[in-house]
Amino acid sequence: MTIAINVVQVLMLVLMAPLVRGVIARIKARIQNRRGASVLRPYSDLAKLFHKEDLVPPSASFVFRLAPVVMFAVTVVAAAFIPVLRSSALLGIRGDFFILVYVLALGRFFLLLGAMDGGSSFGGMGASREVLVSTLAETPLLLALMSLAMVAHTASIEKMVLWTTGQDFFELSAVHALAFAAMALVAIAETGRIPVDNPTTHLELTMIHEAMVLEYSGPSLALIEWAGAIKLTVIMALLVGLFLPWGMAATFSLPAVAIALVLWLVKLGGMALALALVESSVAKLRMYLVPDFLGVASALAILAVVFTALMR
Amino acid sequence: MTQAAFNSFLVALLLVPAVTFILRRWKKARVIPSSLLLLSLITGLFVAGISFWSGKHLAVDLSQWTPFPFALSIDRLSAFFLFLICVVAVPVTLFSSSYIERHYAGARRDWLWSLLPLFLMSMVLVVTASSAFAFLFGWELMTLFSAGLIVVDGDSQERRHNIFIYLLMMHAGAAAVVAAFLLFVPQAPALDFAQMRTSIALMPQSFRTAVFLLAFTGFGTKAGIIPLHLWLPKAHPIAPTPVSALMSAVMLKTAIYGFVRFGFDFLGPGPAWWGYLVLVAGGFSGVLGILYAIGEHDLKRLLAYSSVENIGIIYLALGTGLVFQANHAPIWATLALLAGLLHCLNHAIFKGLLFLGAGAISDSAHTLDLEELGGLLKRMRITGTAFLIACCSIAGLPLLNGFVSEWLLFRSFLAASGLTTLTGATMLPLAAGVLALVGGLAAACFAKVYGVAFLGRPRSDEAETACEVPRPMQIGMVLLAAACVVIGVAPGLVLAPLSATVQEFLPGAAMPQEAASLSAVIPWIALSVAVLVLAIASVRRIKRLTPTWACGLPALNSRMQYTATAFSKPLRQVFSRAYKPNRTVEVLPADQPYFPASISYRSVRTTSFEKSLYQPAIDAVVITAHRLRRLQTGNMQVYLLYIFAALIALLMFMRWS
Repeated sequence: MTIAINVVQVLMLVLMAPLVRGVIARIKARIQNRRGASVLRPYSDLAKLFHKEDLVPPSASFVFRLAPVVMFAVTVVAAAFIPVLRSSALLGIRGDFFILVYVLALGRFFLLLGAMDGGSSFGGMGASREVLVSTLAETPLLLALMSLAMVAHTASIEKMVLWTTGQDFFELSAVHALAFAAMALVAIAETGRIPVDNPTTHLELTMIHEAMVLEYSGPSLALIEWAGAIKLTVIMALLVGLFLPWGMAATFSLPAVAIALVLWLVKLGGMALALALVESSVAKLRMYLVPDFLGVASALAILAVVFTALMR
Repeated sequence: MTQAAFNSFLVALLLVPAVTFILRRWKKARVIPSSLLLLSLITGLFVAGISFWSGKHLAVDLSQWTPFPFALSIDRLSAFFLFLICVVAVPVTLFSSSYIERHYAGARRDWLWSLLPLFLMSMVLVVTASSAFAFLFGWELMTLFSAGLIVVDGDSQERRHNIFIYLLMMHAGAAAVVAAFLLFVPQAPALDFAQMRTSIALMPQSFRTAVFLLAFTGFGTKAGIIPLHLWLPKAHPIAPTPVSALMSAVMLKTAIYGFVRFGFDFLGPGPAWWGYLVLVAGGFSGVLGILYAIGEHDLKRLLAYSSVENIGIIYLALGTGLVFQANHAPIWATLALLAGLLHCLNHAIFKGLLFLGAGAISDSAHTLDLEELGGLLKRMRITGTAFLIACCSIAGLPLLNGFVSEWLLFRSFLAASGLTTLTGATMLPLAAGVLALVGGLAAACFAKVYGVAFLGRPRSDEAETACEVPRPMQIGMVLLAAACVVIGVAPGLVLAPLSATVQEFLPGAAMPQEAASLSAVIPWIALSVAVLVLAIASVRRIKRLTPTWACGLPALNSRMQYTATAFSKPLRQVFSRAYKPNRTVEVLPADQPYFPASISYRSVRTTSFEKSLYQPAIDAVVITAHRLRRLQTGNMQVYLLYIFAALIALLMFMRWS
């Protein structure tokens, strides 16, 4: 039973990911006074791309086509770390957050290599910028997670979620507020949203992630897009699990699981709304201001760790 | 049985130079020295493996034939490092058997085959010695033989200068090590390791601190921690490639061995500041080492700087272990030591592989300048794939060995939150941020290396016409790549005997549960990633080869590709404080700045350590020497006066002391 629900959780994260993107795009359109495309649009985009052919530069090696596959595979595996309906996950009990972060890093490493294998200027340009953002994002992300793990006395994601579920929302410490702030900033940087990167731009002066995947087309691009959507959903679900886990099903009964599902969807919807609001109200940062942005995140994360140590 | 095998291993290593010398004129016997060396190293690998996994102790005592106590013994720690030496030396020898024949002829070839086994022998002496004299004998020979191996590649003025710096710093370091040993003389006059271990209880605290600091500087010089790293990026890149591989992968680890022997085995628990000192040194070396590596585009220099970074990671782990030991937390100290020792093995494996890869690149593309390479993976599939595995390992990515040790270190930082002292509970978790930064920068650095050298299009004719290296060189690299994967997927294989090793010299140590939990989860992740990758890759995707759109230009050429320098520019910009580059732009003719005929740009980076730390010291020495020259008048009467004054002074000293 546990395993069944855990598998359902992974499938949910993987299959619902394009919908999350669609919802965010739709909310953004509404804020900008447009009607916007259907929330199901990302699915039809993926279907279209999967039916097309892969255009491969003649100079490219096998890494070019392997990279999207690895990226997709590790992102799906990362989804298996995240508790959604119950405070358990397929790889949750022994899988700690260090492994989660580095599994995602494996996918990104391959995407960097794939980008550079295209042999054009854009791939290298995108890879070089992406590497700057991801390098600087790693410290605040791990330190914020570290402070939570120190509070909960465990590194296992599952147990950290379980620990927070047992707390009263109004009694959560300042550490959680600091860690949440740091992780929210990192989440924006990691998933390439405004103000760090603009997922809809194709202007060479500003694009980061889009420049990296510029040479990809067809099924490979579909895998990358899908993996990107899963990564976004995984990080949002991680934030929900770590900071707002209340309502997760404690028993296996159908109503409890149904309530947990509805609550989870509401929380995710709330995060999507927040993200859309941020994206619509903030301008993209100049690239050399991104280190400052992540510097703020690092400072918050360092404070979170120091406070945790002081409060013991 | 193992004892006999160990003895024959030592004898065989000594025989290789003799065999090389005897057979030097006989062309058909070319393979004999390399085969003999390979055979003896495989024997050594088995001996080390057996005593590392089973815990069997071996000993050789030659004291009756030598004028000073000269004894070797293998406990588990020695066996682990002996294993580390052999596990790298076997593939390197296999690689060299082809590489040396292709690149060296005549006397230089014979020199290489004679000095290589002696160099290995000296490292074996260092890690197996059980008396100070044997240790120091091996320690000095190690420096001299490696310097000799560097000279084989040529002795131009610049190389001589670099070798001089290497020898100078090594001897300064060795002096500190000797001093650290000599401080034991009052309690343990024979300087036998067992005696030193037991006599430590009698040693006053001030002496122990002095021993610790001397060992820290002495071994730190050899290990190349910043700011004592100056020789490393000078000496490693100029050695013949297999020697660079051994120097970076193995020789640096002998210093770690020495430091662990002193810091943990001999001295036992000390004050916590020892640990913080090591921790801070490790953090500095880690961050600065990898930043300097990112700024390089000569592959071997880049790899040398990345060794500084990895030594930094190892020192972070050792420092954490010392802090835990000072706080009476032996199980967590075991965790940190597991991380440090395993990272020694991991770094030896992937750095050996990366240097061999660099050798393969220079063999087929005749350059190591990243800006001249590109697209090598299509031309060298085996080398390229092995190099990819090494790059992923050194970047600390999961399913490969580098991740295992970095994960253990992260977990020991997390465990520190349970310490009672506030310093420990804040400093160590924050060190995780430093390690995360180092890991991120390493990923950036090796994405650059691999992306620029092996992917995309070739940037020069040499890279265009590169072809795969001969089979023995490939096998050498594949063996090391396989080791990366095995340790990465099944870390339990090494972690179990390694924690038994730590238990041998750390009182109260036990296998930490974190180590077991990783072994339980990693295979599942590996399995699911492998299944997913195979499943998706097996779905047929229609593929069409088509040139990249060049924005309307006729075709893309390799000059439009991003270069290594361009790739690292954003990071160098953000961390410009660490580089302090010296840039000059010259526009000609000067009166037409907007319509230049030529622009030349130079960016020279002198590391600030040379400028602000070493140069004043050198200046001080030179000035003192000049001042002292006044004593040397050349006048016989004055010298007689000196002797007379010295005699009087000595007599007075004898009278009053």
